[in-house]
Amino acid sequence: MKKTLLVALLVLVFLSFSLFAAGVKETSSGPIAFSVFYSDNATLPFKGDWLTVTEVQKRVNAKVEFEIIPIVDYQTKVSLALNTGTNAPDVILYQSTKGENAALSLNGAVVPISDYEAWTPNFNARVKEFGLEDDVASLKLKDGKRYFLPALFDVPFYDGGLILREDLLKKYNLSAPKTFEDLYQVLKVFKQHNPTSYPLTILAGPRVLYRMTMPSWGISLGKNGASGSNTLSWDYANKRYFAGAISEQYKSYITYMHKLYAEGLLDPEMAEPIDGDRWTQKLATGKAMASYAYYDQLGGVTANSTIDGFKLQMYPALAGPEGAHHQPKSKTGSGILFPIKTAKRADFEQLVRTVDEMFFSEENAKLWCLGVEGTTYTTQNGKVVFVDEIRNSSEGIYKSLQVKYGCGSDVTQMVWVNAREMTKYDENYARINAEVEAMGDVIQAIPPTPKFDDRMAEEAGTLQTPLFDAFERWNSAFLTGSKSIEKDWDAYVKEMKNLGIEKFTELYNANL
Amino acid sequence: MKQGKQLQKGSYVARYWQLYAMMVLPLLYFLVFKYVPMLGSVLAFRRYRPGMGPFGTEWVGLTYFSRFWSDPAFWRAFRNTLVLSLLNLVVNFPIPILFAILLNEVHILPFKKVVQTVSYMPRFISTVVVIAILGELLSPSSGIINILRQQVFSKEALYFMNEARFFRVIYILVDTWQYTGWTAIIYLAAITAIPAELYEAATIDGASRTQQIFYVTIPSIMPTIMVMLIISVGRLLSLGFEKVLLLYTPDNSMVSDIIDTLVYRTGLANQNYSYATAIGLFSGIIGVILVSSSNALSKKLTGEGIY
Amino acid sequence: MKTYRTPSSLFFSFVVYLVMVLSLAVCLIPFLYMLSLSISSPKAIINNEVFLIPKGLNLQSYIQIFTYPNFFKAYGNTFFYTFAGTAISLMLMILFAYPLSKTRLKGVKFVMRLVIFSMFFSGGLIPNYLLVSYLGLTNTRLAMLIPFAINQFNLILLINFFKSIPLDLEEAAIIDGLDYKGILVLIILPLSTAALATVGLYTAVFFWNDWFHGLIYLKSSQFPVMLFLRNIVTGTSMVGDAAGSGDKSTIAISIKSAVIITSTLPIIILYPFLQRYFVKGVMIGAVKG
Repeated sequence: MKKTLLVALLVLVFLSFSLFAAGVKETSSGPIAFSVFYSDNATLPFKGDWLTVTEVQKRVNAKVEFEIIPIVDYQTKVSLALNTGTNAPDVILYQSTKGENAALSLNGAVVPISDYEAWTPNFNARVKEFGLEDDVASLKLKDGKRYFLPALFDVPFYDGGLILREDLLKKYNLSAPKTFEDLYQVLKVFKQHNPTSYPLTILAGPRVLYRMTMPSWGISLGKNGASGSNTLSWDYANKRYFAGAISEQYKSYITYMHKLYAEGLLDPEMAEPIDGDRWTQKLATGKAMASYAYYDQLGGVTANSTIDGFKLQMYPALAGPEGAHHQPKSKTGSGILFPIKTAKRADFEQLVRTVDEMFFSEENAKLWCLGVEGTTYTTQNGKVVFVDEIRNSSEGIYKSLQVKYGCGSDVTQMVWVNAREMTKYDENYARINAEVEAMGDVIQAIPPTPKFDDRMAEEAGTLQTPLFDAFERWNSAFLTGSKSIEKDWDAYVKEMKNLGIEKFTELYNANL
Repeated sequence: MKQGKQLQKGSYVARYWQLYAMMVLPLLYFLVFKYVPMLGSVLAFRRYRPGMGPFGTEWVGLTYFSRFWSDPAFWRAFRNTLVLSLLNLVVNFPIPILFAILLNEVHILPFKKVVQTVSYMPRFISTVVVIAILGELLSPSSGIINILRQQVFSKEALYFMNEARFFRVIYILVDTWQYTGWTAIIYLAAITAIPAELYEAATIDGASRTQQIFYVTIPSIMPTIMVMLIISVGRLLSLGFEKVLLLYTPDNSMVSDIIDTLVYRTGLANQNYSYATAIGLFSGIIGVILVSSSNALSKKLTGEGIY
Repeated sequence: MKTYRTPSSLFFSFVVYLVMVLSLAVCLIPFLYMLSLSISSPKAIINNEVFLIPKGLNLQSYIQIFTYPNFFKAYGNTFFYTFAGTAISLMLMILFAYPLSKTRLKGVKFVMRLVIFSMFFSGGLIPNYLLVSYLGLTNTRLAMLIPFAINQFNLILLINFFKSIPLDLEEAAIIDGLDYKGILVLIILPLSTAALATVGLYTAVFFWNDWFHGLIYLKSSQFPVMLFLRNIVTGTSMVGDAAGSGDKSTIAISIKSAVIITSTLPIIILYPFLQRYFVKGVMIGAVKG
């Protein structure tokens, strides 16, 4: 009797303990609090009272402390936090695992979020919906784990490209160019009518021109080359890297560009960065009639031009020797990273689930893109219609949503549905995008990043910089004609080989 | 309170204890905030692996040193740094002194004050904007200078900002514009400390204004000049990084790449802090050598040095 | 002010004034250019119609800056860092410079070597960061004031100025029974107003402009105004690190100019106020030669 009583008592005690423990596991109903690093772009400064920010915190019952860091120094601050392990926030936005972050992740400074798949149901659902399983899987590092939650794009969009003066095309009876040969002819006509002008100018620097046009020759090189290696390009057919900087394709490309330069069709000032204002000036005053830039910027130029009938239009990618291609884009983008100390939080699971819901759930994806139904838009006949204030704003729907409500920011919007995005732009933009999509394979995928550990990364780095420096020098020389492509090409190839470009290529290919 | 060893009358420490006491707090500050972090320099001899501790994970001896030692790009950057620095020194060291002396000769007080204030304003315009404005001025298509060249002198337009031969000139002149007024402040302060009696004596002796400058002003501020010179020589290897970066283009990279921009590019590519630290140590050693030699030289020539 | 009106003296004056007027023009014109850019309309700027005279009066740029989130708070932070920082810095520097100006004092040479050596070697970003973090200063405003309280360059300048004060004055004071503390306060400081004004100005400008330390050590609510403004001017520049991220978004030169003007005006007008200290310190009972 006594024994049974004792056992019963023990069971009771055990039961109550487990119930108590379970009760403790059950998180309190108060909001979960965590800190976040946010990368602040000066053109859309973060506002704590943005509709998107306040609304999303309400919806997921969270209290988020945003650390606003200027975009230009963002990487420094993140690097410092992750390298020293001190003063890191709970969540870091707008990061990927390229470069130093790969080493940091492999060395244990970052949470391998792929281990916690069960806690990110919304993210998983979006990945499936967009068919990005492979793309996401390719983000795994050398140890087979993925360390961040990337932004997801269902279809990359054509947000920038060749821009021409449509009114001049009409005036001089020219048809829209479809190939680079056509472009050459068009520019020549422009120059004929305006001998003191330099028809093709560039925004920011030659790298924008290069990254948007090189793919039509089958290469992608330079500062923002798709692979990040600067001098190697990806062979899409054979799925391996090759030394793009010394290839025949590049030779053909630079010959074309040199022709444009030599005939005064290309702005000679392109070696120095041309900032937004001067670029706008050149186009608005008619000193230039063509450029490679972003659609967002057209409005500003047109609004400020005093030329009669001034009209700028964006055109689909032109065809070069390897087809019509634009700058490769990834269907995954920078996203969310968790420093390792966050995993030590008792409520880590809840935190991950909250973050997952905040950015990847269907409703919140809409929130970050369009705002709140009833406040910023209404649905009429299944179509999204923005409220008058936004629709009629002088800066356009897209910009006004960004600045006033915090929608469409690269840092917080993680889910990008092309059709939904198009509602924020005018019909012209949608038409162009549709045209581009119809052309097929214009925007190729970004080549895969080799899986280096930090020792190999260091080795790759020591090869990369001298090769890049040499490439830049020769590229500029070939372009301007200070070095002749026919006569000096071999010397160039020899120098690049001496600097180890073949070893560099092998290193990349061996670690895919 | 440092009471010294024994309060013997005339004991050294007892006599001067107040002076030592004054030094305690600042010295502590120095040791903590300047010397403790120096321990981090050990990274130049260890391999740094991101996320695995700030002092690296293993000793690698002189690997990083030999890496830059055998890199021709490094020596080119080193040479560029020295040349640019020396040229800058030769041009921009005397100019603020001259400016201060001349300014001191202005006797219309309101005008003097205005010039004084305005002359140091350029220092406050962020370098990014300065270079942008300069770019516009020197633009081959729309810049004033080139328009003048073409229309008044019938010469061809030159793309100044992109040609290697103009890089050094542009860098130095921008520096002149930015810092003359600013640096002149020190010399102005030194000049105001000159006792009026000296000038009066010189005038009585019949010295002209130019003579007064050579025989009164300059000798009186010589200690300040020497101090500034020694410091400038010591800093020969540290140049305006941001300015060079902004003026750097592939076409002028052969002369415009300096040590700091090289480290920036190499560092940026692979976050190799060890490599950067090694180069930093090397530059530091050179700097110390430069300072000690120029200090010794100054002591020999003028009897004064900074230590 | 006896000036001999000899021909050489007149010519000399002419040269001086010519140089000054040229300097005035060269320094002032870019500022005026930026000022007029900052209040002109974008359309006029784009059509190249603006040089020294603004066109199409437009205060939009300034309004944008003043309504930038947290702008005034950041400005307040900057003022605090500048004043407090300069005060602390001056205090420490004076305490250090006075003993160090006595070259014959035992130990001075060694300490000077320490000071100078530290000008050339630093541990780099991470060790400094860890130290400040270890001391619990990160995310506090003190992190902006203490770690860089002494700038060796300014210290050396101050030491040099102190050295130039004639020793006879000190010796006379000692005979009169004054201790070193008293000498420092009653004799040295009043005679060094120009030096203190210079070093004070340099230090103030350093604190005013410091964005880097604010970035790495502080929380965004404690950021100085320079960080915000740097984000606007450099963050959308086309060079260096920002390149690539800034391609899609541009900020008009009118805003950048307005930014420069608002961020530098206070510190610029500090100088005229300090100019009255650039006079010889009052010599109390100067010892004749």
